[in-house]
Amino acid sequence: MRVLVVEDEVSLAKQLVTALRHAGYAVDHAAEGERADLLGHDEHYDAVVLDLGIPKMDGLTLLRRWREAGQNMPVLVLTARGSWHEKVLGIDSGADDYMAKPFRMEELLARLRALIRRSSGQLNPELRCGPLVLDTRAGKVTLDREEVRLTSHEFRVLSYLMHHKERIVSQGELTEHIYSQDFDRDSNTVEVFIARLRRKLGSSFIETVRGLGYRMKAGS
Amino acid sequence: MKWLHSFRWRILFGAFLWTVGLVPLVHVSFIVLHHLYRGRIGAFTPAFVISFFFMLVGILLIRSAFLPFGRLRKQLSGLSDGSLRRIEGTYPTEVQPLVTDLNSLLEHRERVVRRALAKAGDLAHGLKNPLAVLAQEADCADAAGQHEMGASIGVQVERMRRQIEYHLAHARAATSGDVPGARCPVLPAVEGLTRTLLRIYADRGLSIQVEVSSAHFIRGQQEDLEEMLGNLLDNACKWAKSRIKIQSVQEDGAIVLTVDDDGPGIVPAMRDVVLQRGVRADEAAPGSGLGLAIVRDLAELYKGTIVLENSPMGGLRVRLLLPA
Repeated sequence: MRVLVVEDEVSLAKQLVTALRHAGYAVDHAAEGERADLLGHDEHYDAVVLDLGIPKMDGLTLLRRWREAGQNMPVLVLTARGSWHEKVLGIDSGADDYMAKPFRMEELLARLRALIRRSSGQLNPELRCGPLVLDTRAGKVTLDREEVRLTSHEFRVLSYLMHHKERIVSQGELTEHIYSQDFDRDSNTVEVFIARLRRKLGSSFIETVRGLGYRMKAGS
Repeated sequence: MKWLHSFRWRILFGAFLWTVGLVPLVHVSFIVLHHLYRGRIGAFTPAFVISFFFMLVGILLIRSAFLPFGRLRKQLSGLSDGSLRRIEGTYPTEVQPLVTDLNSLLEHRERVVRRALAKAGDLAHGLKNPLAVLAQEADCADAAGQHEMGASIGVQVERMRRQIEYHLAHARAATSGDVPGARCPVLPAVEGLTRTLLRIYADRGLSIQVEVSSAHFIRGQQEDLEEMLGNLLDNACKWAKSRIKIQSVQEDGAIVLTVDDDGPGIVPAMRDVVLQRGVRADEAAPGSGLGLAIVRDLAELYKGTIVLENSPMGGLRVRLLLPA
């Protein structure tokens, strides 16, 4: 899962990026509106944390531009302006959730998880494929109730596949969603992660659809 | 000579003196005319007709000169009860400059209020970023085993946040509450908030029933109405099992807004506590948010009231009365 953080306050941005990476996301950061606009159009994010008071282009304009261009990734607005009038404006401009500063990081992570789940049509915070369970709240994977230890990249691959189970996910799409922008990507490594996941979880969960990509089997 | 202070008597008296002064002048000219045209104009009847006509027109003119003052008075009371923002229409040349000055004074005042508001807002919001950073530092300290320091910073951050929220809402209402001429429709505010809350609480499967008339207005700013209703509805959404209802009723000179939910409600003994003044809210029972206290403060600034009751839907009913 890949997240964009748009925040101009340096120390807060650093804290957000660290906390989100720690929670298992691939994170990009933009400190001003124009760069955020560019990233939002070029890259594929599973969610955006957006501060409204950013330089060069204000957050609401940015949000409206994205929505007009058909970018429908979930956006959590994080702002110092917490009056209800501003909340209504934010939601009407296309935000999916709204949090006022100062905030609790745990709450932000919980809300972001819920947004990502909702946008991929999953209702339960525990994603299941038979005996394989991914608890989005704790960031833990269990197989037959036994915890499976995964590296952060393996976790991202599995999490993306489980959010979109029963759907064919191409290698390119996976690459887009597991690496942050500054990372040197190589789609071959996706194969490596899949192979490692199969070794840890057994080969029956992730199916290779020749020439198209991978599919998580729901009932396996 | 108190009666001389009245505009009306001064003009009438002035006109009277002017006429008295005019009489000898007219008299002399009549004598001159009489000598010039002796015997040819048999009588001066047409002159009398003309005199009466002029006097009548004079009285009508003076009357009409006073009419704009009545209109002005009506408009001024419109300004103070909030139905007007500016004095409208054209006035006689002597009064128009006053009206123009008054209007630009009103405009200036509105600008000053807006600027002061923006400044207060900037100050408050400027403090929130550092507070957000501090709050995260507190969490880090806590995670690093410094529980006492983490907790202590956390508590102080929360207190500062509440102070900022409270004074921000208060400052805004204190200034906007008596901006003359502000009126705002209830329905658009309710609809915006409903949209927003349904999106924010999308996971909860809530339904909000809106029974608000589009003809209902309150005297005040939309931001403040939204702040009051937003807090009430948010509270209802937090506690409701699944259903929330908002209604509006017109009662002589006021709008009564009722928010119902089907949640657990609040026991009568606790109802006063949750409405306690915002500044003290940090000392009130944990978990009792600042929301209702802010609503109460705003409502009082607007000369309205807030009452907590049992809802027929099973949970809490909040009745908010605001002057229309």
